[in-house]
Amino acid sequence: MLHSLLFRLPLACVVLLSLSVGSLLAAPPEGYRFLSLTEATQLASSENKPMLLYFGRYGCSTCRKMHAEVFNDASLNAKLNDAFVLAYVDTESGDRISLANGERITEMQFASRSRIIGTPTFIFFSPEQKPLFKKAGFQTVAQMNQYGDYILEKHYQSMPLQEFMAGQ
Amino acid sequence: MKLRLAGLWLLLIIFQSQASDQWVFDGRSAVTGAAMDRVYHHLDGSGRKHIAVTEQSVAAVWEDNRSQTPQIYVALKLFSSDSFTDALQVSNGGEAYEPSIDALSNNRFALAFEQDASVFARILSAGVLGEPTRLSQQAASHVSITSFNDQVFASWRERDNGRWFVKVAALRIEDSNRLIVESVQSVEAKGLETALLFPVIAVNAAGLCVAWEDRRAGHTRLLVSHSADMSKPFNTPQSLNEFFSDRNEYDKGNGVTRVSLASFGEDEILAAWMDKRRGGNGYGIFAALGADAGENFGPNEKAHGEEGDRQPHYNPATAGNRAGDFVIAWDDFRRSNSDIWISAYNSDLEWSQDHAPSVASGSGEQSHPSIALDDQGNLHLLWIERSQQDSPSRLWYSLGRPQKP
Repeated sequence: MLHSLLFRLPLACVVLLSLSVGSLLAAPPEGYRFLSLTEATQLASSENKPMLLYFGRYGCSTCRKMHAEVFNDASLNAKLNDAFVLAYVDTESGDRISLANGERITEMQFASRSRIIGTPTFIFFSPEQKPLFKKAGFQTVAQMNQYGDYILEKHYQSMPLQEFMAGQ
Repeated sequence: MKLRLAGLWLLLIIFQSQASDQWVFDGRSAVTGAAMDRVYHHLDGSGRKHIAVTEQSVAAVWEDNRSQTPQIYVALKLFSSDSFTDALQVSNGGEAYEPSIDALSNNRFALAFEQDASVFARILSAGVLGEPTRLSQQAASHVSITSFNDQVFASWRERDNGRWFVKVAALRIEDSNRLIVESVQSVEAKGLETALLFPVIAVNAAGLCVAWEDRRAGHTRLLVSHSADMSKPFNTPQSLNEFFSDRNEYDKGNGVTRVSLASFGEDEILAAWMDKRRGGNGYGIFAALGADAGENFGPNEKAHGEEGDRQPHYNPATAGNRAGDFVIAWDDFRRSNSDIWISAYNSDLEWSQDHAPSVASGSGEQSHPSIALDDQGNLHLLWIERSQQDSPSRLWYSLGRPQKP
């Protein structure tokens, strides 16, 4: 049974405390305000905004494909940058994060504990920082926009994502 | 090169009966006390070298936060004793991480660790720690330590003026318990703007081998470099992993990470790592055997069996001994929760079916193995246990005795 640590731990309890030697070169898409998990968690909490957590990997081909063919979309860019707080975790990074239980682990260990098997994997959080759903692999512009609408229009309060997507 | 690899093959045939043995494990011994609220142990050093064995004792080194901040601890178990000593604090700074250990003569151990963005080494002798020696000059981390006939070597990554370097130091032992830096060199003199991660070092009669994660190609590759001795520069780095890049136009190669090295036999090196060439199944455990202290590596081999083929595997650790035995351990959650798994060559000179020692599997989460082989072929296993993934943890040890056919 695969289950995600993320769906058992509120993301609000994840705070990035330290980087061992500077920040490793992660690779979120250009033109987006992706932050470290620390900064994003704090910002999402303080501004009561939904958050998109992107698990990527340096050199990940599907991530690159999405950067070139999906994240280049102007409407998606505007939606995500304006309405969401964006966080990026490099699934092979040695950078350290700290959980609310006091434990410090690397981003890689966080990803493996969260049972993130492939990249990209996206986890969308409500403004209350509750993890709502996880999507792994290539997502189209339309899908990413619909995921955003599902949260921004608060459909998650009344129907599952699958039902919302079927009605689009 | 072919001649050397043929020699390696012959060596494996000679030692195959021993290498293919499975191990029967004794009961487990507690390295640390019962799990305590909000205390977490980590075995995440470069190459996962957290356990080492002398003729008289076994020592384990780890990081935990019992003092509210992450610090390094070591505990020792004499083979004449049933239990480990109380933990001895190795680090003394603000925060310390990712230690490494190797055995020396006269029941001593060499330790290395990161502390406040520098890397240090020190000796544990008769249960007493020698003075720490700082190895790095600039911000540094991911240190690994090894030795051969009491000549000690360490590798780490260091960032200088925005460029990343893999550094290697030769250390000599002075006054039986102090390490002195004899020389330091960069594996590549120029350094890189892209990150280098988790270098690990191994040494034997044929020289030094260093492997690391390298991002210069736009994706992560494992590179390896060899030097006959520290008076000579390291060879131009070679690719350790075979990579596959035909899935789409954006594909430069599959992911690889966390390489571990172990010397075995006279001059051979075992390398194992996590490798995403299987696509959607996550990381597999792949390996390569190198002759001449890693100057020449053979082809990549899948080390885990078919039973876990559709599951991701994590945290590979390697061990070898001068008798020619070698083995890989890792963890995966093919049975829902995480267990420790082991594979070694079988009599057909292929990686055996995966073996889950009963002491390190079953209920709870058993993960992050570190292993050492003594010259009798006994397998010393250290691992982390938690009731759940986010629960407080403790460390266990067990001795696996080779099962003769």
